[in-house]
Amino acid sequence: MQASAQPIPSDRRIVTRGLSRSFGKKVALHPIDLDLGPGQIVGLLGPNGSGKSTLLRALMGLVRPDSGRAFVDGVEVSGDGTAVRRRSTYAPGEIALYGEMKGAAHLEWLLRGRGREAGKKARAIASDLGLPLEKKVRAYSHGMKRQLLLSAALAPEVGVRILDEATEGLDPSRRGVVLERLADDAARGTTILLSSHHLGEVDRACDVLVFLSEGKKIAEEAAASVAERARRLVRLSFDEGVEMGKVSERLSRFEGARVRIEGLRATVTLGSAEPSTFLSSVLSAPDLPRPRAAEYGELSLSDLYREIYGVEGC
Amino acid sequence: MGREIRSYLGRALAYALVLEAMLAAAILYWPQFRDNLPAILKLVPSRVMGGMVDAIVKGGATSYVNLQHFFKGCHALGGAAAVLFAMGAVAGEAHRGTLEMWLARPLSRKRILCERYALGALAVALPVFATSATIPWLLSLVHEKARLSPYLLGSTHESVFLLAIYSATFLLSAVGSRPTAIAFAMLLSLVLEFALYLVMEATHGSIFRLADLEDFTRIFERGSLDWRVCGPLVLFSAACLAASLAAFERRVP
Repeated sequence: MQASAQPIPSDRRIVTRGLSRSFGKKVALHPIDLDLGPGQIVGLLGPNGSGKSTLLRALMGLVRPDSGRAFVDGVEVSGDGTAVRRRSTYAPGEIALYGEMKGAAHLEWLLRGRGREAGKKARAIASDLGLPLEKKVRAYSHGMKRQLLLSAALAPEVGVRILDEATEGLDPSRRGVVLERLADDAARGTTILLSSHHLGEVDRACDVLVFLSEGKKIAEEAAASVAERARRLVRLSFDEGVEMGKVSERLSRFEGARVRIEGLRATVTLGSAEPSTFLSSVLSAPDLPRPRAAEYGELSLSDLYREIYGVEGC
Repeated sequence: MGREIRSYLGRALAYALVLEAMLAAAILYWPQFRDNLPAILKLVPSRVMGGMVDAIVKGGATSYVNLQHFFKGCHALGGAAAVLFAMGAVAGEAHRGTLEMWLARPLSRKRILCERYALGALAVALPVFATSATIPWLLSLVHEKARLSPYLLGSTHESVFLLAIYSATFLLSAVGSRPTAIAFAMLLSLVLEFALYLVMEATHGSIFRLADLEDFTRIFERGSLDWRVCGPLVLFSAACLAASLAAFERRVP
């Protein structure tokens, strides 16, 4: 396996160097480098098929990479990854459980090899989430099944938790409980890597956001910085008949502005988070058609990524 | 491992009960069968089956029980059980989408596969031994005497044969994702092999020749296993298990 020449930092909890994986001719994951420290909550974001699950599975030793190296909690991922899975927990994104088992028994099954304490703690977490452990899993809703997996993944005392589609299917109140638990866990030094294809679901809980598209890492930045950039977005909508090419050319002349045209909408990334000067200039510019509507300060992170990277599906 | 143990235990119990019922019925029918042997010999449709009835004429109750229990009961029911117990070992998990969850626990793949193989193998073999252990008592009900030890040796030979079928199916399950297709292919192969067994000109090409009435008769006469037959069967099972492990180590959930 070829790995990138960058050194492996010893104080990081999750490190990858040139990690890649293909399935046949389809490249699921282009060589990727990551450095995630202790106590970080990292959101792995991207549309379906962007390589998130492949990356998480490769980190857990469930998928062998074609090239590159990965370290989880100081242990290199090798062989079938048993050593890594002993030092971390994983909740798969696909929910498929044994319906014939009762919740409590299933939790015990999921935690085989983790010790009694983990079992007790998992039952406590499940109880906090209001999960009926005495019922058979086949009677569970989709969200309850997700909670069962999360209860098992959040219980053991480990340095790293990897949660694929962690909050998918959870109602807002349970999502809040889970994200709070993750924040508490991270405050104790646990590194949490969670994926989602719904940007708005997890971004508020994350310190760092890593964005994947078509198997490539296209952005990695602090969540606070991403939010600040989101505040610099202004979207202008124009009436039918307006020549958007000219609009784009004119808007680009504003200092620091980056323009993206989509139909009759122009999304402008400003140099500063203060849009009032820009908007008053737009409204007073004689060579620019008057926009029908202007939105700013309320665009979501998903809008940000769509505007910047042109990626749909988040 | 509780879930797996319960699952295999339930299946093994059901298989053992049916096997025992078939055995008991066959042994209780022995006096009538013995009395009608000359007429049955005339009715036998093929030369291969005629050879079997001839063996019963010569061997009496022992050959009859060997034929009924090992060749008929265990081959038919045990063969089906071997296929059905192995077909879902890995492919079943892939089919229902639980493979990733199964692999995500902090247990090595070698361990979880070997545990599953061993449980299934025990579920296939133990009912053969358990039911064979009742033969002396059942024969006493029809005023025949029998020792237990030759039947346990016969059970060992039969189990080794069934484990070869189980291991082959297990290998297909380790690489496949459609348990029903695997079961269908294996059961069809077994039916074809049995059809081959019944054709005099082709009978020696059938796998059922590896656990034939003659083999059990030889075991009873010598009081020991025939390792020229059992050895290759054990090696075949070991090779299938090794290949299953190799495939499973690299399997993507």
